[in-house]
Amino acid sequence: MSVLETPVTHERRPVRFVAFAIVTVLALGGLTTRLFAMQLASAPAQQPAAALPPADVGRQIVTEPVPSTRGLIYDRQKRLLVENVPTFTISVRPADLPLSQRPDVIGRLSGLLGIATTTIAETIDGATGSRFDPVAIAHDVPEQTARLISEDNLTLPGVEVTVDARRDYLDGPLFTQLIGWTGAIDATAYASLQGQGYLPDDQIGKAGVESVYESALRGVYGVREVEKDGTGRTLRVLSTTTAPQAGDSLILTIDSKEQKYAQQALDWGLKLSGAKRGAIVVENPQTGEILAMVSEPTYDANLFARGISTADFQKLLTNIDLPLMNHAIGDQQPPGSTYKLVTGSGVLADKKLGMTETVMSKPYIQLGSTLFWEWNHAGWGPLDIKEGFAHSSDTFFYQMAQRLGIDRLGYWARQFGFGQPTGIDLPAEAPGLVPTNQWKLETLGQEIFPGEVLQAGIGQGYDLATPLQVVNAYSALANGGTLYQPQIVREIVSPDGTVVRPFTPKVIQKVAASSAVLTTMREAARTVVVSRHTYNLVDMPIVVAGKTGTAEFGLRDKNGVLPYHEWFAGFVPKNAWTKTNPTGDVSKPDSQLAFVVFIYNAGTLGNASTEVAKYYLQLHYGITQDFRLPQLLQRTNFYVGDR
Amino acid sequence: MGVLRVERDAPTGLAARVGGVAWRDFDLQLFVYAVLLATLGLTMAYSNTAAQLGGDVAQGGTTFVRGIVWAVVALVAFAAATAFDYTWLKAFSWPIYLVNLGLLVASLALGSSDAVSARWVSIFGLQFQFSEIAKILMIVVLARYLADNDRRLDSLAGIVGACLIVIPPWVLVLLQPDLGTSLVFIAVLVGMLFMGGASLRWLGALAAATLAALPLIWTYVLHDYQRERLTSFLDPAKDPLGAGFQLLTAQRAVSDGGWVGAGLTNGAQSQSNLLPVQATDFVFAVLAEELGFIGCMVVFLLFAALLWRILAIAWRSRDPFGLMVGAGVASMILFQIVVNVGMVLGVMPITGIPLPFITHGGASLVSIAIGLGILESIAMRQQRAEW
Repeated sequence: MSVLETPVTHERRPVRFVAFAIVTVLALGGLTTRLFAMQLASAPAQQPAAALPPADVGRQIVTEPVPSTRGLIYDRQKRLLVENVPTFTISVRPADLPLSQRPDVIGRLSGLLGIATTTIAETIDGATGSRFDPVAIAHDVPEQTARLISEDNLTLPGVEVTVDARRDYLDGPLFTQLIGWTGAIDATAYASLQGQGYLPDDQIGKAGVESVYESALRGVYGVREVEKDGTGRTLRVLSTTTAPQAGDSLILTIDSKEQKYAQQALDWGLKLSGAKRGAIVVENPQTGEILAMVSEPTYDANLFARGISTADFQKLLTNIDLPLMNHAIGDQQPPGSTYKLVTGSGVLADKKLGMTETVMSKPYIQLGSTLFWEWNHAGWGPLDIKEGFAHSSDTFFYQMAQRLGIDRLGYWARQFGFGQPTGIDLPAEAPGLVPTNQWKLETLGQEIFPGEVLQAGIGQGYDLATPLQVVNAYSALANGGTLYQPQIVREIVSPDGTVVRPFTPKVIQKVAASSAVLTTMREAARTVVVSRHTYNLVDMPIVVAGKTGTAEFGLRDKNGVLPYHEWFAGFVPKNAWTKTNPTGDVSKPDSQLAFVVFIYNAGTLGNASTEVAKYYLQLHYGITQDFRLPQLLQRTNFYVGDR
Repeated sequence: MGVLRVERDAPTGLAARVGGVAWRDFDLQLFVYAVLLATLGLTMAYSNTAAQLGGDVAQGGTTFVRGIVWAVVALVAFAAATAFDYTWLKAFSWPIYLVNLGLLVASLALGSSDAVSARWVSIFGLQFQFSEIAKILMIVVLARYLADNDRRLDSLAGIVGACLIVIPPWVLVLLQPDLGTSLVFIAVLVGMLFMGGASLRWLGALAAATLAALPLIWTYVLHDYQRERLTSFLDPAKDPLGAGFQLLTAQRAVSDGGWVGAGLTNGAQSQSNLLPVQATDFVFAVLAEELGFIGCMVVFLLFAALLWRILAIAWRSRDPFGLMVGAGVASMILFQIVVNVGMVLGVMPITGIPLPFITHGGASLVSIAIGLGILESIAMRQQRAEW
């Protein structure tokens, strides 16, 4: 066939055909020239070989760290609370992921993992490291999915499945505030811990004892020599230079049983009263060991251990009842009448009040034009210290505060451990606040006003305390005047079972009050119960002493009524059972159980905290008869306090 | 040289074309070159699979086995496209255009709803990339437009019209985001405009405008990783273990090839998994290492011969549509060769464009097979008996 024989229906442009052919020849020629230069002409000089590892780059021997097994955590009965379980992480090594297959691989991962393709792409592109560093796409992937992915590595190039250990918090939310959780190390922590052998993708304790005892739990990472190919894939392990040392385990002072009882009691009280926020702490006054510590609302540590979603984390962050806070140690609030322990002990110890001296309680005390009301607006006539404490008479303690003055009051508050962190081995403890003249001058530029002295005497005004400080003060009262540092970890035990750090009680100080003063105050606390200020608590078959507290806070409502927290702090002497052990006696400093219940913004008819404490004691002692008075837990919109 | 102007015949009805198939005009050379190139691609797949699996290449799911399956699919597609009267394509080019847009939109929409990725759709268990087939559909549609308007191409309006046709699918491909394919679109457009006789002045003006807009595109359109990839070829040694690693190892692999190469499955760089993606974008580096300079020359010559046959069919075509399809397919193949091989040799940025026939990608092979099939169909349907 000849072109010219056939009629053509359009223009032919030989020049352009020739031009196209020339371009083709030039392009292929150019590539050939380059190829020739690289392959045949002085090839070695052409390439920047110096920048690469030696010729058999495929095989290089590197040392790499071997993670150690993180220590476990037990309760005081050696019950396991935290386990290490395998967890599968899916990562992508960008360099191994061909560009042309990238969307395919990302799409399949998205389908398998249920993560948006855009999220995966952003994660890969957002990684800052080398293209040979694996980028984690999904953590804690179900084993089934991980197996699917690892078996399908031919169609998923660049995708890797690694097995790591993750913490499994066996009791979920029950111990979250105490044990805390581990999470990926952040940039700041990594910067300071890098020297101690931490790796950028390490897990680190981030809350609770996981964080405080990080160095003990972590153990020591080992070192091994591995052979890797040029892309960083491990071919085989050559030798282990140093074996990793497993971390030490912790034995908590907490008793799981008591913790469950405490949680059960508090949750009951919160549910019935409709309050959202509270704490209960149980302490052994003889040692400072914390037997139970529950804070509500709380959350499940496993959420974090598995990698919390942004939505879940936002929910926790924005919850106004602060589930992320351990309210037992982080929530500083006015302690209310529980603080009368300080005022009473102080005024007796300073001999500003005789042991049996009576002082007139009144409907109110007037300072200038301001009236400071008795809580029942009537008073009870003349009261001695025990009666004043039992009735929780405000006017009585206003006068005691006046007799002491703000600075002596502050002194005695500090004697009982208020105004400074107790030093418990948990993070984020609040210090509380004990007002003094010096403090007010420094912070507000003024001296304390006389009215503020009165308020300071009954745990209001500037006074702030955490539930832990309150229970620790009552523990000091119960044990005859030794202020212990509360502890949450009893022992540290090495993996082979030897005790690395045995338990030793830590004394903060001896309270400067004489034992006679403290005996009187213990008897006063018992009078609170006996006088039926706490309703039927006295009818329980155990000897209990304690003090209620109703602490106003915040802003008045439209009826001029302030919202209030409810407290109950107390202790039981040794042999508290009245039926089988009639020897239980609060005048002896032999208590082994002190407790505090705090309910934020309770606003109930009676003291909800007392009811919670009752329930806890019933569970603790196995009392089958139910002494709880649920009708006291209904919300009221009028003030029926028991201050 | 001037233009050979020949009288345009009256528009011919579809019916008149039916039955005018001349199998003796089947371009056997084109077919043979294509088969040789595809065989070479399969050989490289065999070599790479052997490297990965230590010999057991026949087991299901390997690159090699999938390559064979795709080769068979491509052969069937080629045969079908050859037998199919291309004039129907012309008649239905606008519906094809809409289907093309629909497929791209659908794959984008499916992609964002996380069912599948934007670029891939799974057909009978084999992954398929729509943007590959979109290139061929685009060529068909553009060929129809340019063929209808070949007298207007010396004006700006004709050129702009062609651009307007390309822009919607181009944007969809860019959104996926598939930078490589979107560049191929531009190359095809330019190649077809040039071969269609578009005014060089206007083409030059448009090129100048595009060059001027490049800084804006660089700043506002490209993702960070795309920018990094595009620039790493300039100085791969700057980040030898990061973005430049592939390039450095690819270049070392090419250098190690010498005259005859190390032999199949013997490439030191490739077989130690040093070339992270030897199976796909960088497969030419493996070829260069294992088959050497001579092997590469064979590949180049096969490509050159193939392009020659495509241009020959375009030249012979009495129908301007045939010329345009030939120009488009040739431009596509040439551009992909230059960019992919140039990338391996360190003279082009990394864009993720496959090397036709050699890169193991089913969609790429099938779409080229369809393109070549259409060209055969054109070749066989030019000798009209009516004259």
